[in-house]
Amino acid sequence: MNRASPGIERIFSWSSIDSKSRVVILVSILLICSIPHSSGQETITGWNEAESWTDHDLNAAVIHGELVWVFGDSGIVRFSEDSGATWQNHTNLGDVDLISADSYENSMAVLSTDGIIYMKDGLESEWITIDSSQTGMKSIALAGEESLIIVGNEGAIWHYTEQTWWNRTTSFTENLHDVDFNGADDGLAVGNAGTILATDNGGTTWDYREAPDPESSIVSVSYFNPYRMFAVSDSGQIIYSTSPGGFEWQLREIESAGYNTTLGIDISSIDVVSSSKILFSGPNGYLGLSLDQGLNVERNILPSGVNTSFNDHAMFDYVSGTVVGDSGVILFTDRAGENEDIGFEIPDYNNFGEFVEYADDMLLSGFIATIKIVLFGIALGFIIGLILAMMKTAPTSLKNLLESYPTRQIKGLGIICLVSALWLIYSGLRRFPDLQLNGIEYIFTPVGDPRGFAMFGLGVAIFVISIQFVLADEKLSGPLFKIRPLNAIATVYTDFFRNTPLIVQFMFIHFGVRLGMRIQELMEGTFGDPGIDGIDYFFYGERAFLSAIFTLGLNSGAYQCETIRGAISAIPSGQMEAGRSIGLTYIGTMRLVIMPQAIRICIPPIGNEMVNLVLNSSLAMVIGYSELSRQGKLMIATTFQIFSAWGLVMISYFVVTWTLALLLRRLEEKTKIPGLGISGGG
Amino acid sequence: MEDVVLSIRDLHKIYPGGVHAVRGVDFDVHEGESVAIIGSSGSGKSTVLRCINRLIEPTEGVIELRGQQINTPNANVNEVRSRIGMVFQSFELFSHLKVLENVTLGLRHVRGMGKSEAEEVALDVLERVDMLERIDAYPGNLSGGQKQRVAIARALAMKPEVILFDEPTSALDPELIGSVLQTIRGLADEGMTMVIVTHEINFARDVADRIVYLDQGKVAEEGPSSIINQPKTERLQRFLSSMHEDKISEDIGNELVSTQTDHGYVPDGTGNRPRS
Repeated sequence: MNRASPGIERIFSWSSIDSKSRVVILVSILLICSIPHSSGQETITGWNEAESWTDHDLNAAVIHGELVWVFGDSGIVRFSEDSGATWQNHTNLGDVDLISADSYENSMAVLSTDGIIYMKDGLESEWITIDSSQTGMKSIALAGEESLIIVGNEGAIWHYTEQTWWNRTTSFTENLHDVDFNGADDGLAVGNAGTILATDNGGTTWDYREAPDPESSIVSVSYFNPYRMFAVSDSGQIIYSTSPGGFEWQLREIESAGYNTTLGIDISSIDVVSSSKILFSGPNGYLGLSLDQGLNVERNILPSGVNTSFNDHAMFDYVSGTVVGDSGVILFTDRAGENEDIGFEIPDYNNFGEFVEYADDMLLSGFIATIKIVLFGIALGFIIGLILAMMKTAPTSLKNLLESYPTRQIKGLGIICLVSALWLIYSGLRRFPDLQLNGIEYIFTPVGDPRGFAMFGLGVAIFVISIQFVLADEKLSGPLFKIRPLNAIATVYTDFFRNTPLIVQFMFIHFGVRLGMRIQELMEGTFGDPGIDGIDYFFYGERAFLSAIFTLGLNSGAYQCETIRGAISAIPSGQMEAGRSIGLTYIGTMRLVIMPQAIRICIPPIGNEMVNLVLNSSLAMVIGYSELSRQGKLMIATTFQIFSAWGLVMISYFVVTWTLALLLRRLEEKTKIPGLGISGGG
Repeated sequence: MEDVVLSIRDLHKIYPGGVHAVRGVDFDVHEGESVAIIGSSGSGKSTVLRCINRLIEPTEGVIELRGQQINTPNANVNEVRSRIGMVFQSFELFSHLKVLENVTLGLRHVRGMGKSEAEEVALDVLERVDMLERIDAYPGNLSGGQKQRVAIARALAMKPEVILFDEPTSALDPELIGSVLQTIRGLADEGMTMVIVTHEINFARDVADRIVYLDQGKVAEEGPSSIINQPKTERLQRFLSSMHEDKISEDIGNELVSTQTDHGYVPDGTGNRPRS
């Protein structure tokens, strides 16, 4: 038998495909590839460039009242009264580089490289100078109107409050790069070697927080609120904490970077604009925007010719603000820098290309979903069909099963059945009064708890059967013993499934029996939560999927059973006799002699059944399984392209069934045995 | 008796529907003996043979294989069958298996042999029936005579204690019969115990040690092969004459491998088949 079954490569290799089929396949591929795609949308930048009147590098930007201030090298200061569109000169603050700035309500402070701090403690007040006498400071933050914090190299933290400088340097002496406060009390400072320091008392004491990656050099931090703290490392890692106090920090797996933990690009600054919107900036003209807390980061398109390194942002609110960079570049936006798609607002789905562009993903997912249930359904249906066909053709009668037992035991079994039947009838009858019905005639009235009726009916049935057991004679000649129990079970099964509509079976099994839910719960109990993707999800993540394959399999099994049974009947009875005569058991003869021949005979009608199963799978839409037909409906819901949508769905079904038919035809040819059955042609 | 292989006592078979095909048949088959069962169509020959193999359950009676009753519900029917070979009128080769696989199937799945061991045995028996050249052919590509010889090899491979032949040549063309009969005769010469249901009167006379003539479900006459030439009962006489008994001549015995009397064909010495 093994010799006769060909290897899969013999059936499906390219070289074994004849030239006609090759042409068909190639033309199909060509047609698929030639489906036109629309040219797509044009995307323009959300940023505008403003004239800064300087070529110096601009290092810091800050909002102060109605004004935006930017500070740069050599004491350059510019301010804008119109959200960054136009800029005015301001007297230079000293002649050293201004590297960091911060504001708190009416106060604003700027840090220069020589440790001098320039401060405005009111909207209209003049600049005052505070000398910290520290060098190597990197960042400044205001913790209240009268309190400021500067951080810098070797873990230096200096706190200026009540006109006095306090050294708050901790035992962690890695270089600190940035400090940010939320309100007057809560602040964060970050630095090299994954250093994160947090304060909750306005900078008086600082506590160490463990970073998820101790190697990363954290260059910028943004303390948006106690539940949204974000920081970036210079290698593009996004670190976030959603626990008040920032006790736990995690690395973001960035979806848009293929679930990596790094953006793969250098980042110099982060700014949390709203609870979900984050701006990133970096060298070489990098501006990134995330609308979902860093899960997806999209690179902003810049105005043409801008390729500078960006250093800081200042946002008025979550839509408008500015970003500053080297060589005096200032960009401003009134839509948070979001790229703007121009072109059609409402796609013209009458254009087939645009329709396809919308529909192809849905079609593909429907296609895959259909193939999924079809393959499992075919396998399940074939196995069920095989088993049922064997059951239906099994000659074993009740007499055969029982004749080797003494009559006394059979009578004993009968008495046990009789007693349980009487008990069932009794308990069934006892439930009738619960229904508050009067009179035995009401047992035919299907109201109330159905279990009473079921028990009564079952009791009567077992009673009738057990009477025959009790009255059994030596030869077991009663009519009951002529019953073939396996055949009876299979007949009930096939009759049931072939005489009810498939669509009703779908709904009964999914919503009535809730088979999918039960299987899923069983699998979850055994293997745990399937998650939202991966192999577990594939097998038991979707209830409708489970229900669909079982409904299709159970239904198709009933039909395939009849087909296989027909093929078994077509095998001459002498084959069974020959198999038995060499001493094989009935099952052995079935397995080794009858089935290999019967299945070869029934490949064409089974193929028919399988094609039917593919087509029937479209009914799975009624239980909410998103296979091809359902996707077709959804496509129409959006696009109103009824002809195109159903057309594509139809072609997809055709592709599946036609391929299936081709494969089966090849299978039939390759498994053909000379002298077995009549077939046209070679 | 010690050497009784098969013993049949008072065998009755009533088919569902009431046809009383076998009405009390008794006979013994001894070790190394070939028994030919002859009789007209419907006389119950095949039914008796199938009862022995339990392909048909007898209604009444006792069948013993080496003194052990085999027609009880408790007898292991598969084990009994593996000890009794059977060759069918219509060959019943497994058409999806090659010749060699046909022979090894029982050895591997009933006797539990490994593949190489089974093939060794199979090649041995296939050599005995002179089918060694076609071991890779499918039955569909064999002639009738070749198929029947493979079927004999399949039965032989199981090393049965007795082989039952159910009209082994009646489905064959006249010119194909010879090789099959020769094979069976070879087995008889080797001392194989056989029960042969046949229409080949000459062959029966030539090969069988004993003839059992069945008529209407009963043993009408039983005796050594000489009863073909000197039937005691009128019924056998009538039967034999209906089988063109008058055309049987002494010399045909030597070349009976190419003879098919019951098809009305007698060789005319030219080797050509007469056109009719």
